Amino acid sequence: MKFEIEDVTVYFPYDNIYPEQYSYMVELKRALDARGHCLLEMPTGTGKTIALLSLITSYVLSKPQSPLKLVYCTRTVHEMEKTLAELKKLHDYQVKHLGPAARILAVGLSSRKNLCVNPRVLSAENRDSVDAGCRKLTASWVRALAERNPGVPTCEFFEDYERAGSGAVLPPGVYTLQDLRAFGKQKGWCPYYLARHMVQLANVIVYSYQYLLDPKVAGIISKEMQRECVVVFDEAHNIDNVCIEALSVCVRRQTLEGATRNLHRMEQEIDRFKATDESRLRAEYQRLVEGLALRGDLRVNDTWLANPALPDDILKEAVPGNIRRADFFLRVLRRFVQYLKGRLETENVEKESPVAFVASVTNQAGIDQKTLKFCYDRLHSLMMTLEITDTDEFLHIQTICDFATLVGTYARGFSIIIEPFDERMPDVQDPVLQLSCHDASLAIKPVFDRFQTVVITSGTLSPIDLYPRLLNFNPVVSRSFTMSLTRDCICPMVLTRGSDQLPVSTKFDMRSDLGVVRNYGRLLLEMVSVVPDGIVCFFVSYSYMDEIVNSWNESGILKEIMQHKLVFIETQDVVETTLALDNYRRACDCGRGAVFFSVARGKVAEGIDFDRHYGRLVIMFGIPFQYTLSKILLARLEYLRDTFQIKEGDFLTFDALRQAAQCVGRVIRSKADYGMMIFADKRYSRHDKRSKLPGWILSHLRDAHLNLSTDMAVYIAREFLRKMAQPYDKAGSGGKKTLLSQEDIEKMGDSSLNDMLY
Amino acid sequence: MASAQVIKRAKYKTTVKDPGTAGVLKMAWDRFIFTPNHPNSASNLDVEFRFIKGHKNTKEGSNKPPWLNLTNDQGGSYIFEFESYPDLHTCRDFVGKSIGRSGETPTAASGKTDASLPDEQISTAELELRIKLLRENSELQKLHKQLVIGGILTEAEFWATRKKLLDRESSRKSKQRVGFKSAMISDIKPATDGRTNKVTFSLTPEVILQIFAEKPAVHAAFLKYVPKKMTEKDFWTKYFKAEYLHSTRNAVAAAAEAAEDEELAIFLRNDDILAKEARQKIRRVDPTVNMEADQGDDYMHLPDHGLFRDGGKDIIESQYELYRRTLAHDLNRHAAVVLEGRTVEVELEDTRTVAEALAKLKRVESANEDSDGTANQGILERIARITEIEDLQASHGPPLAPLCIKDPRDYFDSQQVIAVKAPAAEGKKCNLSSREAYGSLRDSISQTKQMGLLNPVVKTKDALQVFNALSHDISRTKYDVGKNPQDSVLDKLPSTTKEQLLHHWTSIQELLRHFWSSYPITSSYLYAKVNRLKDAMSQIYPQLEEIKKSVPAHHKQHVSVLVRQMHQALDAAFQHYDADLQKRSAKSSERPNGYV
Repeated sequence: MKFEIEDVTVYFPYDNIYPEQYSYMVELKRALDARGHCLLEMPTGTGKTIALLSLITSYVLSKPQSPLKLVYCTRTVHEMEKTLAELKKLHDYQVKHLGPAARILAVGLSSRKNLCVNPRVLSAENRDSVDAGCRKLTASWVRALAERNPGVPTCEFFEDYERAGSGAVLPPGVYTLQDLRAFGKQKGWCPYYLARHMVQLANVIVYSYQYLLDPKVAGIISKEMQRECVVVFDEAHNIDNVCIEALSVCVRRQTLEGATRNLHRMEQEIDRFKATDESRLRAEYQRLVEGLALRGDLRVNDTWLANPALPDDILKEAVPGNIRRADFFLRVLRRFVQYLKGRLETENVEKESPVAFVASVTNQAGIDQKTLKFCYDRLHSLMMTLEITDTDEFLHIQTICDFATLVGTYARGFSIIIEPFDERMPDVQDPVLQLSCHDASLAIKPVFDRFQTVVITSGTLSPIDLYPRLLNFNPVVSRSFTMSLTRDCICPMVLTRGSDQLPVSTKFDMRSDLGVVRNYGRLLLEMVSVVPDGIVCFFVSYSYMDEIVNSWNESGILKEIMQHKLVFIETQDVVETTLALDNYRRACDCGRGAVFFSVARGKVAEGIDFDRHYGRLVIMFGIPFQYTLSKILLARLEYLRDTFQIKEGDFLTFDALRQAAQCVGRVIRSKADYGMMIFADKRYSRHDKRSKLPGWILSHLRDAHLNLSTDMAVYIAREFLRKMAQPYDKAGSGGKKTLLSQEDIEKMGDSSLNDMLY
Repeated sequence: MASAQVIKRAKYKTTVKDPGTAGVLKMAWDRFIFTPNHPNSASNLDVEFRFIKGHKNTKEGSNKPPWLNLTNDQGGSYIFEFESYPDLHTCRDFVGKSIGRSGETPTAASGKTDASLPDEQISTAELELRIKLLRENSELQKLHKQLVIGGILTEAEFWATRKKLLDRESSRKSKQRVGFKSAMISDIKPATDGRTNKVTFSLTPEVILQIFAEKPAVHAAFLKYVPKKMTEKDFWTKYFKAEYLHSTRNAVAAAAEAAEDEELAIFLRNDDILAKEARQKIRRVDPTVNMEADQGDDYMHLPDHGLFRDGGKDIIESQYELYRRTLAHDLNRHAAVVLEGRTVEVELEDTRTVAEALAKLKRVESANEDSDGTANQGILERIARITEIEDLQASHGPPLAPLCIKDPRDYFDSQQVIAVKAPAAEGKKCNLSSREAYGSLRDSISQTKQMGLLNPVVKTKDALQVFNALSHDISRTKYDVGKNPQDSVLDKLPSTTKEQLLHHWTSIQELLRHFWSSYPITSSYLYAKVNRLKDAMSQIYPQLEEIKKSVPAHHKQHVSVLVRQMHQALDAAFQHYDADLQKRSAKSSERPNGYV
């Protein structure tokens, strides 16, 4: 359908539109007009992605004088694929109605491992070897060598791509990773480098968060983007954690040992160069004297590292004199590694601020803050000079240098924590030195500063006023939408008691209580016999899931469950989990039905949809609180309290409830879909916990469903499923319309529509 | 004729030393059938006598039991042990006759039908199926006896009309395969006797099949070691020892045990074959759930980045990773195997055959997998479908299967009849001009006006009387027949009459079916067939009359109703036959010069 929002003609690839999608677009347009950032919460299953994509593309189409680029960030590759699939549909629709003028170029970008088509490189087991394998064939000095000596292997895809030069472009269209690979194979061009090149020209780019948030990556991939960009962070409820992770580094014994080996190898290389080709080292020295001019003159395929600290002033400064010479630099690094080794030998938990840590480094190892700051770039330069291609061997020393640079750059918002062992396993010695970032705004600040509009959106951003504080920005629009439902197609319940009327909870003192475990088991057993197709269960942690499943297995409950449905479990092995998920879907498709056991903060909870028959019921066993004794978490809570005046308890509850909401929110895909959610913990019935759930779930949580036992929940489930099986009027009955057609929108002006909605 | 058959209890032995399977030996004029008492036993026999070349038997009075040895043309033999010598003798004599006859039967049969269809090649499987059908259905058997053995229909003709029966029968056998159970049966618990420290595991072939399917390494090891290196019992003992070690969840102990015993290590270690399969499968996984792609997505992927020990993540012990296997892994694997629904066709009795059949199946599968390149396209289409929001647009509608009329004549003929009928009915009315019609209508109106509506045309009482008298018979018979003919009308008849009637009914049906299906007569073969059928039918005709006469008077009415229907059906056939004959003769006279 086609309709007007103020001066923009929006092309929307469906015949109808939900009212909340319409108002979502209105708000989004306001933010685009104001050239500011915005924060939008809209329930899952109301078509956020397509609303967003069609508004922004239509906005660009109707204002050809100011070309806007859309940078769409997803958390996972599979979300990227889904987004591109929706964009494809939209693009087809727009081209059909507007002709070739509506053609855009949209690419998904991923790592070499997901894009490479060279079978020799691809045969490598893990991604590090894929990267290294690629560099071995494409680095400039390797290619220079190959020119002289035809025996040296190169990558024919890259060579063909280079030969094609500026002619190597993607024709307009929407390219998923699969499409890119197919195109690359057909043309004989390297899809990875082609996609990286096309990022500069594309109208829409879809990639993962960290390509923009992690300064190490952003410096390479995203540095040449103009200000006229709309950056979208989808499913952004965890964005603060992603930001924090991007700037955190940990050092372990293995890291230091590896770094020592790396340093040894580099020393040998330097000696070899000294003997054969000293001029090269001298040239590097000259370059460093002139400043860090590494970037401009390097070729695209060699830039594999970038400065982790984005502030531009670093790049303009000259490298300190004491590390300009290669062997001097190595000596500095050696001293630093030695120092870290000493720090790891501690027997107590230590916590330090970066300032104190740098002071101690200066005192004991004689390395000053400025030197630390340049470590990463200096290493980069050195490895280029030494023509090192097997980069996957040198990861440890890179980690050390990254650590050094971060410590040297940031004086606040970080802390250094040294733990001799894990709290939960005190008998296993595994010392870790953790540089942990507490301030999510540090990583995202450059994004807010650089780009015109940043959209942060998700199904769960409650409480919505917390995010601007955590990320330190001022949104021009900040809205939370509710869901207008044709029928009550979601049915949240709070289960507080088991079948024996005793309370259930995963509270620390109750979690290993056999009665609770049994009650949870009985709940699931009752539900598998009532609910058709797929059921998803979320547990608070892997260890708890392991414990409870083993206990069910021993008591025979698991066997009974398996008589009704097949059981699949998320494990820490990603390959296995992926296959389990794929099989789970097939089991739901073929009608056998299945149960999926998953973990609240795991990979599955993060981005897999359990919509339609893939999930008719989600059970959240317990409240997924973080491990509160973690030193890192405590340090972060302290920082939040001191800086933002956020109470520890509030933050913990907020964090746990957003995870829980995220888990259960994946059951709904559209208003025609339906699903139940069971929060199985007595603590959910308390107001302070419950009220942190997003509004669209709360509005369907009836008072009568706040304090249920297993038998009552089963009864409600039966009734609900029977009700959902009845035919209904899709457009909504009564005064409220839940599905708007073209005429509906044309008939009522913006004002009346807004009146109706709010 | 040769309908006589001999049925004796006997034991079937594959060799002289074999203790034998007890069962029933049934000898018919053309074949002998051995059915073991135990239905699951594999020694079901069904051999035609024409394959039997000779027979031997033990002498009465020798100290050997009564054995009959039949040798077939492949040199194999069937040995039967009878309960007594008289039994043996009866069978021996029967066999002797049958073998003698079986040589001639085919020629005799073809002699009767002057123009026979080319002899159809039937597989033994189909033959068996037919025999099974006949055995299960006595009515069919009777019919078969009467028509086929009576020479009215050939075997092929008889079965041609029952293709469906055969198809269904065979499809039921081949397609309805039993999948794996959802429950995990391979996770068997040991039974203790309570006194000693021994535990006992009981394995059934089904459990073994599941273990093999879920654990390819065990499967491979079985094929490799049993029986060359160890006995099957040792093998399973080792297996359960390993399982026990797993169940203790003591990775260290498992590692220690594995270091000592090489074979045990196979069971303890993670399954390499599975890992390889997983790597292959991951390439074809739906990209919208592929989390493995994420793992490689971070651009830099430096180790030790991010937060190592924050509260959100769990810790795993990386030591002894090789020997660590979790319940979760087993559950996932089990569910995957159940979903694949891979079943082997062999009878589940011997572990070795199960293992080999599974291996064969896997080879076939992997060959298939290599060849499919279109899978990706399917995935893409699926994603496109999934990403759509279903209620924002008109539904696509359920998929439709196009209408397929197998025989267009069926359809058009019926249409034509309707079309012919309709104008005929109208044509009659057309004789009446509208003026006349109007006149008559006006007359009747004026008549009604004069007489008044209050007076009924006929007196109610009379009408009721007539109505009752007329409807009495109809309603009763209709009620009885309509409800359940076999219960009511037929049950009242003497049982012999009833059976005769039913039998005649089925045979008439069968004959008519063949009769009508033979038209139009296009070949001399069909002509001969029709003649044969007509003769058979005309034989039945007087038989029916006889039945009608023989029944007691009070049943006569019902019987005659039943018989009348059959007669009508037969009459129609005869009529058609005569008409066709006339037409044909007319035709042939039209073309005296013999155009072809």
